[in-house]
Amino acid sequence: MKTIDLSRRGFLKVGAATTAAAAAAPTVLEAMEVEVGGKDFGPVTKAERKAIPITCHVCNIQDGALAFVENGRVVKLEGNPEHVSTRGRLCAKGNAGMWYSYDPDRILYPLKRAGKRGEGKWKRITWDEALAEIAKKLDAALQEDPNSIMLKYGRNRSGGAIDRFMQTLGSATVVNHTSVCESSKKVGMEPTWGPDIETPDFANTKYILNFGSNIMEAAYFHNPYSQRLTEGMADNKAKLVTFDVRLSNTAGRSDEWIPVFPGTDGAVALAIGHVILREDLQDSDFIETWTNVTVAELKNHYKQYTPEWASKLSGVPVATIERIAREFAQTKPATTYTYRGPAKHLYGSYNEKACMMLPIMTGNIEVRGGYCLPRGMSWPQPQPAPPKPAKPSYLAHPDEYPLAAHKVSHLVPFWIAEGKQKINVYFTYQDNPVYTNPGSDAVWGKLFRDEKLIPFLVSMSPFMGEETALADIILPDCPYLERWEPESMPNSLWPWLGIRQPVIKPLGESRENRIILRDIIHALDKDGSRGMKKYWEFKDGEEYMRHHFDNVPGLKEAGGLEFLKKHGVYPIYGKLDPKSGQVVDKTGRPIQPEFGLHKKQLSSEDMTGAAVDAKGIITKNGKAIGVQRNGKNYVGFPTGNRLVNVRVDEWADFGFNPMPTFKQIPWHKEMKDDELILTTYKINVHKQSRTAAVKWLAEIMHSNPVWINSATGRKLGVKTGDLVRVESKVGYLVTKAYVFEGIHPRVVAIPTAFGHWAYGRLASGARAKLRSEKAGSWGANDDPDLKNVWWDDKGVHPNNIIPVVADPIGGSQGWYDTVVQVKKAGPSDKYGDSVGYWDKHVDAFKETMRYAYTGDKHREMHPEMSSWKGPGSVKKKEGGH
Amino acid sequence: MNVHAAELAQTGQSPDQLRARAGYYRLLAGAFIEEPGRDYLIALRSKEVQAELHDLGVRFDPDVTDTDVDTLVSELACEYAALFTSPGGCPPIESARLSGRLQQTAFEQVRAAYAQAGFKVRQGRFTLFEDQLGVELSFVAALLDRLAAARKADDLDSAKHLEKEIKRFWALHLGLWVRGYARLLERVTVHSFYREIAALLGTFAEAELELIGVHVDDVDGGREVVPKADIPLEFNPDEPVCGGCRGPDSDSAVA
Repeated sequence: MKTIDLSRRGFLKVGAATTAAAAAAPTVLEAMEVEVGGKDFGPVTKAERKAIPITCHVCNIQDGALAFVENGRVVKLEGNPEHVSTRGRLCAKGNAGMWYSYDPDRILYPLKRAGKRGEGKWKRITWDEALAEIAKKLDAALQEDPNSIMLKYGRNRSGGAIDRFMQTLGSATVVNHTSVCESSKKVGMEPTWGPDIETPDFANTKYILNFGSNIMEAAYFHNPYSQRLTEGMADNKAKLVTFDVRLSNTAGRSDEWIPVFPGTDGAVALAIGHVILREDLQDSDFIETWTNVTVAELKNHYKQYTPEWASKLSGVPVATIERIAREFAQTKPATTYTYRGPAKHLYGSYNEKACMMLPIMTGNIEVRGGYCLPRGMSWPQPQPAPPKPAKPSYLAHPDEYPLAAHKVSHLVPFWIAEGKQKINVYFTYQDNPVYTNPGSDAVWGKLFRDEKLIPFLVSMSPFMGEETALADIILPDCPYLERWEPESMPNSLWPWLGIRQPVIKPLGESRENRIILRDIIHALDKDGSRGMKKYWEFKDGEEYMRHHFDNVPGLKEAGGLEFLKKHGVYPIYGKLDPKSGQVVDKTGRPIQPEFGLHKKQLSSEDMTGAAVDAKGIITKNGKAIGVQRNGKNYVGFPTGNRLVNVRVDEWADFGFNPMPTFKQIPWHKEMKDDELILTTYKINVHKQSRTAAVKWLAEIMHSNPVWINSATGRKLGVKTGDLVRVESKVGYLVTKAYVFEGIHPRVVAIPTAFGHWAYGRLASGARAKLRSEKAGSWGANDDPDLKNVWWDDKGVHPNNIIPVVADPIGGSQGWYDTVVQVKKAGPSDKYGDSVGYWDKHVDAFKETMRYAYTGDKHREMHPEMSSWKGPGSVKKKEGGH
Repeated sequence: MNVHAAELAQTGQSPDQLRARAGYYRLLAGAFIEEPGRDYLIALRSKEVQAELHDLGVRFDPDVTDTDVDTLVSELACEYAALFTSPGGCPPIESARLSGRLQQTAFEQVRAAYAQAGFKVRQGRFTLFEDQLGVELSFVAALLDRLAAARKADDLDSAKHLEKEIKRFWALHLGLWVRGYARLLERVTVHSFYREIAALLGTFAEAELELIGVHVDDVDGGREVVPKADIPLEFNPDEPVCGGCRGPDSDSAVA
């Protein structure tokens, strides 16, 4: 046999001939990650696994997903390649979703409290026993006052079932979680242009001004948006500028990170607006055509917001503000983006409004690459539907916050304690305020432990969260892979309808929420004589979905529910090109969205019987239906007058400034040198409270040291790893320090999702506990899977030390307003301490109520509204908002 | 007694012995399938049963023997919930014990085994997982009943097949986790009922495995593990060992 004598050096010589030959040789392999998927095979059986399309619900982005099932078991989750919005991608949280179903700490049977609340002593009871007891309590409550039945939900994706349940009972006491989420963003936007959110066209933009959103990591719609943002930055050479108090993963990937003093984004936005208007860089045509102010009015109003003024408040140099203003106004198209950053402050609604004014004044509204209206789709409710409750509920719509259309849920415990409204039966669904709300256990734990204030607490939950642990009866709800739900989210520029369908049967005796609600009503109204049962006559979740989906125009013709069961999403816009990751049409071109929704013209039928006033507002049957401009009849924006309301007159009715403005947080003005501001944030592998028990995610991140700037650390004598005590006016915590440059020197930051004391053994760190310390926590040490848990740290929960703050307009919690002192931990401080005091939280509640329109601080904060005649001049609305 | 019967009796395979063994499986299953009920506890506390259990070393405390039966039912319901059906506990479910997750491979395997033997799980007051301890024990009890009947009928083929099935089920399922789980349960319960039942379960499992001649390691996380600190290290530094043959100046070991 012929041998070739070759040294290694010989192979390393790059020869032109071999290179050319290699290039010409056929290639048979390509990187697996290029394939987006849609199929999966069992590694042992080699058989193709059954793929069932679903909508993910680990967090609230609602990504299209596929669940792969083998032998009746979910073995893998990945993105649904037919979903135009998320395009086959699923984040780490979504990939870990099956842990919810198979968690051995899951509640699988109805449980009844057998000891004191929170003692951890339970008895298993049958569904019939549980439903009979609940029905008895509801019957008594109904006789006293239907509104004494309260339901508070967290992540409610029931598609209307929760409201139907409460309306069936005749109670208006439905409270959501939105005030601890983004409500002041919503209230800042809605009266201005209609919807509560924007959908920026990141993929086609040239400039993005991001105010405090961690969009590439954890912000709302981070999966679909980070895809488009990356496209915009990589393919379209868009510039991303991020204002943030800390170097988030988004700030780190931005072209510029501009640290800003907490709560002053609004001032910076106003100053940018000032420069744009001062230098005549605005889009006058858009302002004059589509808003309710003139360019002259706007210029005059913005004169006060100079860069010098904003620079003093925010710490952002004047030159930076001026440069960014010019770049933003002169680069077309451009967009802003915000989520909770500007909104979660005492006057978050003003901040949000100030930010959204920038795309408005530059005419970047509803244009390709701009700041667009959200696109969503809706579905009808099953008929007959119950009527609205007869009486309003104070807790659902407190008098002091008339503009807070998304409620003020985080103040509810104080109002119940004050006796504003009596509660007899309290239902909780996908909520955990004992962990997630300001004051945490010190406030909500105190409320739920008091049987006089909450006589009967029913939790519908698959897991023993901090709130569920305090319940009287627990009804085992299903995790998302076992239930039916309708979905639609404006998480891209293509509207879609989606479905969440059971991939496996509910485990144990768990039931999906709409079935639980139906069964409660049936237990209460066995023979239908109460007139309730007729609203809940459906066999199962699938039948309920048919009511939603079988008559949606377009979808009906495509097959209705059967289409959704097969594809998971409707419509299918095109096919995902695995090479580009884009949804393309038959010719291979990317599917393009529509723009200019406000310029859709009214039909002659629409105009029949309509009147046009001097301002061009088209009215029909007492309602504005469009705007006439240049002889054309446009649908306009979905506001009361079909215009973009730069001036929100309703705000002025309550003594608030109707024009874009900024209010500095008073206690930030008075900060001493040794005081800092505590901010919290979310990370990419956890959501607020419900992922700490998911092992894959907990393994990635399970502790949350406090970020401290290097200069601040030097001043405090604190270095990375040191134990520090962080103290606010309502409590203190003890945690580890992480000292580096990536945070504003006057800010400390702690991520949420950590420091649980319930929610299963993995989240609560029960692994190390003995039964003598806490009932039920022992066996965990012997759990085989936890043998692989190499970490002991569970982190520290910050919410006990965060006082309530309520935006007097939007009702939002001021998460990022807390003033703290940070010191090296003392000898009695223990890592993990997190202590809050009820009395001090009550003081904070009283203080924040002073900023409501009925409070004494309101006038002081609004000298420009001196002509307002006070709270007595306000006409009260009936029936809430 | 003929020779064959004597052999069977020696190996616990006589029909009466098989039925007696099945009885123990059922007694143990009764503690796990659901919260111990009034009838079960009255029977358990009867003089005859107590005497028999006493002979086996089972010693219930007054919380079982001197408590009125309704109180005992209530207390055991709380203990059952704390141990088996509320978070942080140790559900007696093979999938959870061996994989840390509910309804995994073991669930499917035992369901297939039940189906092959012509059984399905009839749900009682509460829905049960197929790989729940009480169900698995009940399955072996049912096979033992069949085996007893086969023995009585001198149906050797059936008996051989059933013996194999029982061995196989222990080797693939019960034997993998019951002993370790019993030790865990004995340690963590605060009630003498489950402490003694756990002890009985562990002892019974050892005895059954020996009787049927199955050698399988228990891999449940609850098994007793000898702490490393307690393991004596037998090492003589003067004794030559492999790898110690290298010369003082050599940087290569001699295999």
